[in-house]
Formats: sequence, structure tokens, C-alpha cells
Amino acid sequence: MKRIGAMELIGLLMVLSLMVIAATAPLIAPHDPTRAVAPTYGEPAPPTRAFPLGTDELGRDVLSRIIYGARISLTVGVAGMLVTMTIGVAIGLAAGFFRGAVDVVLMRFTDVMLTLPALLLAMALVAVLSPGLVSILIVIGLVSWTTVARVVRAEAMSVSQRDFMLAARSLGASPVRLIARHLLPNVLPLIVVMAALSTSGTLLLDAALSFLGLGVPPPAPSWGRMIEEAELYFRVAPWLAAFPGLAIFYAVLGFNLFGYGYLRRQGR
Amino acid sequence: MRNADFLLLCALLLAVAAACKSGPPVQFPPGTRVLWLAAADDVPTLDPAVGYDSASWAYEQAIFDTLVRYGDANVELQPDLALSWEISKDATRLTFHLRRDARFSNGRPVTGADVKYAIERVLKPSTRSQGAEYYRGIAGAADFVAGRARQVAGIELPDPYTIVFHLTGPDPIFIHKLTMPFAAAVPREVTEKWGEDFSHHAVGSGAFKLSQWISGQRLVLVRNPYYFAGGLPKLDAVVELTGVNEELQWLKYEAGEIDVSSVPSPEFPAVMKSPRLKALTIHNVTVTTNYLGMNCQMAPFTDVRVRRAFNYAIDKEKLLALLNGRGVVARGVLPPGLPGYTPDVTGYPYDPGRAQRLLEEAGVRKGFAPVLWMRADQTMLLLAQSVQQDLALVGVNLVLKPVAWGPLLDAVRQPHNTQMFMLAWEADFPDPENFLEVLFSKRQWRSNNDTFFYDPQVDRLMAEAAPIADLARRFELYREAERIIIGQAPWVFLYHPVNYLIRQPWVHDYVINPMRPTRLEKVWISPH
Repeated sequence: MKRIGAMELIGLLMVLSLMVIAATAPLIAPHDPTRAVAPTYGEPAPPTRAFPLGTDELGRDVLSRIIYGARISLTVGVAGMLVTMTIGVAIGLAAGFFRGAVDVVLMRFTDVMLTLPALLLAMALVAVLSPGLVSILIVIGLVSWTTVARVVRAEAMSVSQRDFMLAARSLGASPVRLIARHLLPNVLPLIVVMAALSTSGTLLLDAALSFLGLGVPPPAPSWGRMIEEAELYFRVAPWLAAFPGLAIFYAVLGFNLFGYGYLRRQGR
Repeated sequence: MRNADFLLLCALLLAVAAACKSGPPVQFPPGTRVLWLAAADDVPTLDPAVGYDSASWAYEQAIFDTLVRYGDANVELQPDLALSWEISKDATRLTFHLRRDARFSNGRPVTGADVKYAIERVLKPSTRSQGAEYYRGIAGAADFVAGRARQVAGIELPDPYTIVFHLTGPDPIFIHKLTMPFAAAVPREVTEKWGEDFSHHAVGSGAFKLSQWISGQRLVLVRNPYYFAGGLPKLDAVVELTGVNEELQWLKYEAGEIDVSSVPSPEFPAVMKSPRLKALTIHNVTVTTNYLGMNCQMAPFTDVRVRRAFNYAIDKEKLLALLNGRGVVARGVLPPGLPGYTPDVTGYPYDPGRAQRLLEEAGVRKGFAPVLWMRADQTMLLLAQSVQQDLALVGVNLVLKPVAWGPLLDAVRQPHNTQMFMLAWEADFPDPENFLEVLFSKRQWRSNNDTFFYDPQVDRLMAEAAPIADLARRFELYREAERIIIGQAPWVFLYHPVNYLIRQPWVHDYVINPMRPTRLEKVWISPH
């Protein structure tokens, strides 16, 4: 194994820093994110010493909201990624390993899903399920597994044809054992990359849904919702949209750097 | 997937940017005097029997005429299709003498029969008109509604240009019910030709006629060449662009693409600081009460202590701060400006301590999480979050449920469905009946009494007050009913909004009416 690269390391540190912020939010956030703490109720206030990132029109501290928002966004990002990966990896492995009819059915189904615009599908599903953390996770999983499935299938197909697979097969290993002990470990590096990239994709999808008013309901301070609420004030208080925007940028960049860095280390 | 999402976001933003930049899509020959307006939502309907919201009424009153109407800036009765009228002393018979020069935009003269037909159409159960309630007091209406009579016997037409209404009992405000678009003259031949689709083929005798209506894009009205008032309308056309939210309206206003706009909260302070812009604002205290309804049939709101606690817990001043002070705190049901309003109702001051005690007495446990239904609109969400903050301080975790306007109105009418909801009521005519009877009587359950409030004494007082023409006595009874309603607190009384608009310097005589949308026939535009 090669030494960890700079890109990967920076990405990893960025992601870790976010996780620390999310975990220690109650300790480091200067204020309650849902309470009116600024005296300037009714009008957003620009950054000051007391409120380094300013306050919104409801008198809430933007910094505290971004810190607490890390919890929601990371939860949604990671949990959404887990749902996405579970569906995508299961379908991709099955299609790539069994081939034939199984492959045809699963992949044509994936193609059909790919024709549906993800954001539109997500909006329709959220509208039916009513916004909430669990329904957001389900929706994100349901709309974003397709790419994962295709990539994992291609990798599984190529791994399946290697000699060690043939050897294991001729020794009489069951399909379950073949997949679990031989196929999966060899596809794993790719899965890690896909997971990192899918987390950032999930973060963006969540932000888009929240921006459209379909995310985690208020007063929970998700980054996407913060931008949505700032839309009205975009011209008079641009900082309200800029800071949560930077937070999303930071998180997505972190996961992507880690993912691509890891990919590079695998020599692909 | 990730890239696709990012691209989609970019596309969305680009679309918004493009919408701000691209010019209006309709073309008129040079010199045409066009008033450009914009709104977020499509006009719900142009069928006067169906519409019961300010967006529909704004254009219905441009396309149709009623017997009598209100002034441009006040609620004094003025001739419209009727040139003169008499009301019998006992307020049971009203006679109207119609003008002979009114014509529908298809050229046919308007007679009393067109008004009679319009009211019968509203009363007919198959029309499902929310206006039917207002005309049930006409003699013979009950038989007509039940299908026992082919026409309403109490609407008499001695000659084509005279119409007489006989009422089953005295109703001193009946004439006001005739100013609502429900009672506007409609041509029978056209409504019967189109049936439910009359809305898209509306023909009336008003100053304008419908020219084009593309859902989600625009509504275009042009002048009615047959309109009876000489020299009116002063405009050749009116265009309303739809799908334009508040913020976008403002950008279009600044670009000179629309002529009249609302002023979004964030921009309001800057507008008022600029002498040039401030001079272009038009404002008016609307006769409206914004409230938070609590369903009196759903626990724990069955307990008056809980309802009162919510009234004490919510800081209405904070809501007004979010609206840049554009309103006054409500202390009761009736808004200032409505005849019968009394300034000496006390309402509920902000007192979270008292709210907490009341909640404890009522046995409401900490963490109680009621659902607040509201319109999915950024300003409403802002106000709702302020309410959410206030309630959190007394241990109530309010859950917000933003839904679209139509579904919200459907939802609140279902019994045992909406625990709490945020709505507003604007007066249709200047009398307390239009608030108290419509919003709190048991007869209005499943229609407009969405808190499912019922108090036998309130119903009795209102039944007693309705036929009384002596205003002092009438208002006294309604005040008594309002006092009981405030005490029973089916609403959290929030605020009475002040409406602000801004016009372009070339728009003249655009005035706001306290109870009706702006009338457009006298609005004019100077060269620019």
C-alpha cells in the first residue's frame, strides 16, 4: 500500500474537523441555534464581535446555526450515503456476479431509474412522504443508488473473471461465500471512493431539497434551509446565504478530496 | 448524480436570472396603454359564482358589474348597474332601477334578468358556490335550493330594467351582499354554453374583457368597447404575469417591467428611507385580522385554559417587527376600521409566565407538540418560526406544516384534522356579521368556522343582532358576542396588517380600497 497522499489527507482532515464540530456542537456553539438571542429582532444584523457571522431576521446566531447545522447535514450525508450504498452495492454485486438474466433485469431497471431526473423524483417523493429526517434519507437513497450500482457492477464483472475467483469456484465455494469472501473485499476500495463521493452528492441533494422547502422542517438549522430562508434577504443581508453556502462547499470539498485522493492512492 | 445535481442547481439559478432579465413576453402596438402587474400564484378563477379570494375578485370586478358597488377608496355604496334604489322601512324589500346602456362585452344589453340568473346560479347547489349562504334570506330561495321551484320567487322583475328583492326577514345589510362579485350580472347564454369552463371564457359587462389567460404565465384583459361609462377604462389593457414571487416582483419593479409591486420585508426599510421611493408607496389599513386558529374539538384545545395560554405565550409585537411594523397588534376579532369595532377590548397581553401556569393547570405536559398548518410562503414561515420560538419558551414544541393555499383551505374545513392553523380574514362588507357570524357560528362548521367553535350564547346573540337595523343596538349585541369569543379564545389574535404597494412614477390614480381589490378602470398611465 502506498503512503497516504496530500489530497487524501487534507480531505480526511476536513471531514474529521466537521465530525468534531458536529459532535461537540453544544459545547462550542456560542448560542442556542433556535432562540432569538440578538436584540435586532425583525432585521438581519451583519457580523459583529458578539455574533461573528451575524444574526438572521429572527435574531438567531448564524454561527451557532451553522455549527448545529453540521450535525444535521452530516447525519443526512452519512446516513443517506449508507442507504444509497446498501442499495447500489447489493444490486451492482448481484448483477455483476450472476450475469445473465439477473444482470439484464437489474440493469434495465437501473436504466429506467436513471431516466428519471433525481431532483424531480426526490421532490415528488418528499411531497408524498411529508418532509422529515427519515423520509429525506429514504428519498435520497431511492434516487441516488443508480450510479453506484452501475460502477460496482462493472468492477464486480471484471473481478469475477480473475483467476482466484475461478479457483474458489472450482473448489466448490457457494455464491454467498464467493461474494462475501472474494468478490466484496476486492471491490471494497471502489466502494470507499463511491461512498465518499456519494456523501458529498447527498449533501448537495439535501441542500437542494432544503432550499426548495422540502428538507428537514424548521427550526432545525440545516444548511440548505438556511440558504432558503436567506433568499428573501439576499440583497440586504448576503452573509445569511454566504456562510451556510461556504459550509456546504467545505463539506463537499472535504469528502471529494478524500474520495479522489483515495482513488489516486489505489492507482486507478 | 452529484454533478447532475450541481448542474440542476446551476440551471435553476440561471433560470431565475434569465427570468429577471428577459423582457415581458406579450407584445402590444406602440402607444397602447398597458398596466403590467405580477403575482406569485395564478388567478384561481374568473367565474364570479366560484371565486371567493382577493386574487379572483380583483379581476372579476374588472370584468363584471354588480347592481351597486363600493367607492374606489371607501366602502360607501355607489351606483353600478343600478342607477338608483329604494329599501323598504322594515328592510325586507329592495328595489333597484337599472341603467339602460349597460352591455356585455358580446354586445348584448344587460337586464334585471341577468342579475336574477346570476344569483340563482350561485344558489343552485350544483354550483357549490361559497356565496350561496349570503342569498338564502331571499324569499323563495329555500324552495329553489331544494328543487321545489324553478326560480327564486322573491326576485321579481316588473320590467326588464327593474329588479325587486323580497326577503324572508329584515336584513339591513343585504344590499352590501349585492356588492360581492357573486351577485354580478352574467350572460346566461355564455355560462350555459361553457358550464364549469365559464371561468376561461368569462363574459361580463365590466370595464375590461378577458383576452388571454395562460395558466402559470399570464392573464391579459383588454378594454370592453361596450362599457357604459364614457371615457373609461383609461387603460387599453392589463397584464398580470404569474409565477412571480415577492422578491422577483421587486426586481421586476426596479427594472421597470411591472407597474405596481408589493414591497418585500427586507427591502421595506430601504424604501422608506429613500424619499423618492417612499413618495411612490401607497398604503392602506386593510380591514383584516390575521389569526392563529385552534381547533376547539381537538384535545387539548378543548380546554379554554390551553387556548388562553397560547394567547398569552405569543408575542405579537415580534411578528410586527418581522413585518417592519406594517400592522397593529390585534386584541380581538374585529379590525379597526370595521363599523362595530371597539377599541376597548383588552385581548391578551404577552405574558409567558401566565401562559406557563395555565398550561400546568390544564395538565399539558412539557414537550407537547401540536402541528401548525400554514401557507407555504416565506413570510408566513418566518412568522410561524417566531411563534415557534415563543411557544418553545413555555415548553411547547410547535411542528410547522407548510402546505399550498388550496390544500390548506381544504384541510382546515375537515373536522378533527388541523389542530392549529394560521389564516387571515378580510372583511367583505362593513358589518361585524361578516366576521362573527361567518367565522364563529355553528352554521359555518365545515365552511369558514374552521376552529369548530360553538357557544350557544354567541349563536343566540348573533341571531338576535342580524335583523336589527338600528346600528347602535346591532353593534352592542355583536360586541357582546365578540367579548365572549375573546374570552373563549378559539383564536390567538395576532395582528391587523397594513398593506403597502409601490407604483411606478407613471402610474396614476391607483388607490387601495379597504375591503376590495383595487379597481382598475380609472387607473391611467402617463407617457414614459
